[in-house]
Amino acid sequence: MVNNNVNALGVIFANTYDNLVPELVAERSMGSIPFGGRYRLIDFTLSSMANAGIDNVSVIVRKNYHSLMDHLGAGREWDLTRKRGGLNIVPPFAERSVKLYSGRVDALDSILNWLEAQKERYVILSDSYIAMNFDFGKLVDAHVKSGADVTMVYNRAPIPEGARSDNYTIRMDEEGRVTEILSNDYRMGEQNLAMNIYIIERESLIHLIHDASVRGLVYFERDILARNLKLLNVQAFKFDGYVARVSDMKSYFDENMRLLKDGSMEALFGPAPIYTKIRDDNPTRYLEGSSVKNSLLADGCVIEGTVENCVLFRGCKVKKGAVVKNCVLMQDTVVEPNCNVEYVVTDKNVHITEDKKLAGTDTFPVFVAKNHSV
Amino acid sequence: MAKEMIAMILAGGQGSRLYALTQKLAKPAVPFGGKYRIIDFPLSNCVNSDIDTVGILTQYQPLVLNEYIGNGQPWDLDRLHGGVHVLPPYQQASGSDWYKGTANAIYQNISFIDRYDPKYVIILSGDQICKQDYSDFLRFHKEKNAEFSVAVMEVPWSEASRFGLMVTDEDDRINAFQEKPKEPKSNLASMGIYIFNWDILKKYLTEDEADPNSENDFGKNVIPNLLKDGRRMYAYHFSGYWKDVGTISSLWQANMEVLDPKHSGINLFDENWKIYSRNTGRPCQQIGSDATIVNSMISEGCKVNGTVNNSILFPGAVVEKGATVEAAVVMGGTVIKAGASVKHCIVAENVTIEEGATVGAMPEGGLNIAEPGDVATVGSGVVIGKGATVGPKAMVSSDVKDGEEQW
Repeated sequence: MVNNNVNALGVIFANTYDNLVPELVAERSMGSIPFGGRYRLIDFTLSSMANAGIDNVSVIVRKNYHSLMDHLGAGREWDLTRKRGGLNIVPPFAERSVKLYSGRVDALDSILNWLEAQKERYVILSDSYIAMNFDFGKLVDAHVKSGADVTMVYNRAPIPEGARSDNYTIRMDEEGRVTEILSNDYRMGEQNLAMNIYIIERESLIHLIHDASVRGLVYFERDILARNLKLLNVQAFKFDGYVARVSDMKSYFDENMRLLKDGSMEALFGPAPIYTKIRDDNPTRYLEGSSVKNSLLADGCVIEGTVENCVLFRGCKVKKGAVVKNCVLMQDTVVEPNCNVEYVVTDKNVHITEDKKLAGTDTFPVFVAKNHSV
Repeated sequence: MAKEMIAMILAGGQGSRLYALTQKLAKPAVPFGGKYRIIDFPLSNCVNSDIDTVGILTQYQPLVLNEYIGNGQPWDLDRLHGGVHVLPPYQQASGSDWYKGTANAIYQNISFIDRYDPKYVIILSGDQICKQDYSDFLRFHKEKNAEFSVAVMEVPWSEASRFGLMVTDEDDRINAFQEKPKEPKSNLASMGIYIFNWDILKKYLTEDEADPNSENDFGKNVIPNLLKDGRRMYAYHFSGYWKDVGTISSLWQANMEVLDPKHSGINLFDENWKIYSRNTGRPCQQIGSDATIVNSMISEGCKVNGTVNNSILFPGAVVEKGATVEAAVVMGGTVIKAGASVKHCIVAENVTIEEGATVGAMPEGGLNIAEPGDVATVGSGVVIGKGATVGPKAMVSSDVKDGEEQW
C-alpha cells in the first residue's frame, strides 16, 4: 500500500460541552459555533484530520444539528467527498433508544456496526470545542511507537473558569504513561489539561464499548479509562501548538480577541490549511471615511465607520459614523450609522439600528442573539 | 438528453499586450477584481443564466487555466450530463492542427457540441469583463426567430471606427457589417458574443473549413458569409458594463472602476448575480494597528499594516508598516516591505518589493481613471531589490537588483 495516509479513521463529537455555552448553541451545536472570522469550530478538527490524510470521518451529532449539516454538506471543502469513506454524519438512532446519547460510550455504541465494518487499524476520537491546527500524523506515530492501548492528548493550560466542573486533568510517570485521570479539577495554574482527543485500535475500541454498554457505563474517560489505568496502557501526548478552548461566553470572546495578538494567526493557521464552507463573498471594501485598526475581517464586509480591535465575520456592514471597538460581529451583522458599540458579541444577522449605544465590559461582553434587532 | 443551449468560450487569447502578466498564463486566467480571474465572468454568467454545459477552448499556456477550472465545482459546473470541459486542440486521425482561428476552434469541436444536441450555441469571449444575462439574449434571439444574433453596445461615434460594427434596420435586423471601417455607418459595436442556431452554425463552419482562402474567423469570414446569404441576423442591444481588458491600462482601469461601482457601472457586489471563483482558503485579513486604508478592496489572507489608498489587494498580499500603496492593483501573495512605495501600477502574483523600493508614480495631474496614462507593471515572481526604482512607464518581468533603476 502506498503510504500517503495514516491508517486511521476519525470520529468527531459535535455536541460535547454544549451546556457550557447555552447562548451560542441555542440554534446550533458546539461544532458549528462560528470562530475566527470565517470558521466553525469543527473546521479545525476536520481540516486537521483531512490534512493528515484521514479520509474516513464520522461526525456524531446529538441535537440542534441543522446548522452543522448545512455547514458540512457532503464534506467537499475538506476533500471528504469520497467514494470510499469520506464524511459521514451520524444523527441519534431514534428506534434504538428514545433518550439521546448521554456520554461518549452511548454515542459510540450507536455506531458500533459501522466501526466493525471499517478497515482502518486505528480510530481517532475528538471533540469539536477546540480551535487548533493539529498534526494527527504525529499522534498516530507516537501511538504506534509506544505500543500503548490508548494515547490521550493534553496541553499545559490553566483550567478555564467555565470548565471547572467539566474537565479532565492527568498525571503520568516518566515514561509518559498516564497514572491518574482527575475529573473536574479546579486547581489554579497550568495543569495537564486533557483535550479530549484519543487514539485507540479500532478492534479494542469496539471491545471496550461493547463491554461498557453491557455494564451500563456511560463515560469513556471516567468509566473506562480512569478505572482501568493499571490494566490499560494509556499514554499521554503533549500538544505544544496553539489551543483555543471555548468553555463559556467569556472564553469565546477572549479566544477571538487573542487572535488579534501578534503571532496568534500564524500559530493557528500557519502549520496547515484550515478549510471551511465557501460563500463566494466579494473582497472586503473599505470606503471613504473608514478607519480600521488591529482587526480581523473576513471577505464580504463593507466598512464606512471605525473598527478597532474586532473580529468581523463574512458580510458585516459598519456604516458611516459608527464606532465598533473590541467586538466580535458574526456573519451579516449590520451596524447602522452613528452607533457606538463596545465589548459586544453579535450572533448571525444581528441588526443594530441607528444612533444606538451598546456596551459590555471586557469581563462581561454583551451578547445579542441570532437575527435580533437592537 | 438534448440541451436547449450550450456555451463555447474562446479562451485561446495570448494577451500579448499584457506581456509581463501573460508570460506564464493565458489571458482569461489573468487575476481581476480582488479575487477573481477574467474567465470567472463568462463562467458565472453562464451558471447564473442556467447554462450548465460549457466548453472552454484553450491553446496558449493552458496549465494555470486548466488547473483553475478543474472539475468546475466552484461555478457549480460539475455535472453528470454537461458541466465545464476544457477543450485544447488535439491530434486527429488525419493529423493535428492548432486552432487556426475562432471559427476553426469551434469547427474542431463539432463532435463535442453534437453530443449535447443543442438547439442553440452561444459563443463567448474569455477575455472580457462583463455581467450579462444570456437567457435574456436567448429570449431575444427566439422572439426574432433569428438564425444568428450578436450582442452589441452603442459606442461614441468618434470611436466607432475601432470596432466591428453592425448596421441594422429599425427591427434590429442586421443588413451590413463593417470591420473597423474608416467611415462608420453605425455605432453598434459587436461584443464578440454570438448566439447561433446550431444547425446553421454547423453548416457554415463546415463550408468555411472547406474554403482554403478563409482565415477561419467569425468576424472576417463566417458573419460576412451569413450576411451574403441573407440569413436572419439580429443585433441584441446590451447596455451593462462591458470591457475588453486587452491592455495594461484598460486592465488597471477596470480594476479601479470596481472601486467605484456607483459611477462605473460594474457592480461585483450583486447578491443576485454572484461572480464565483476558486477559493484560496486563506484565513481572515489582518489589519494592523498602524494601517490606514481608504477606498480600497482587500481580500482573504492579506496582512496590512501600512497605507493603502484607492487600491485592490488580492488574497495573501502583504503591506508592511510604513509602506504606501496607492492606485495600485496588487495580486495574490505579493509582499510589499516596509518603506516601499507602490503607486499607479499593476503588480502580479508573488512579487517581493523590498524595503524602500519605489514602483510607479502618481501622474502629475493626480488620479484620473478615465485617462490613466502610464501604468507601471511588474510580472509575477519578480523581486524588486532594496531601494530600487521601477519607473512609471516600466514593464518589468525579471528581478531588479538593490538600488537599480528601471524606466
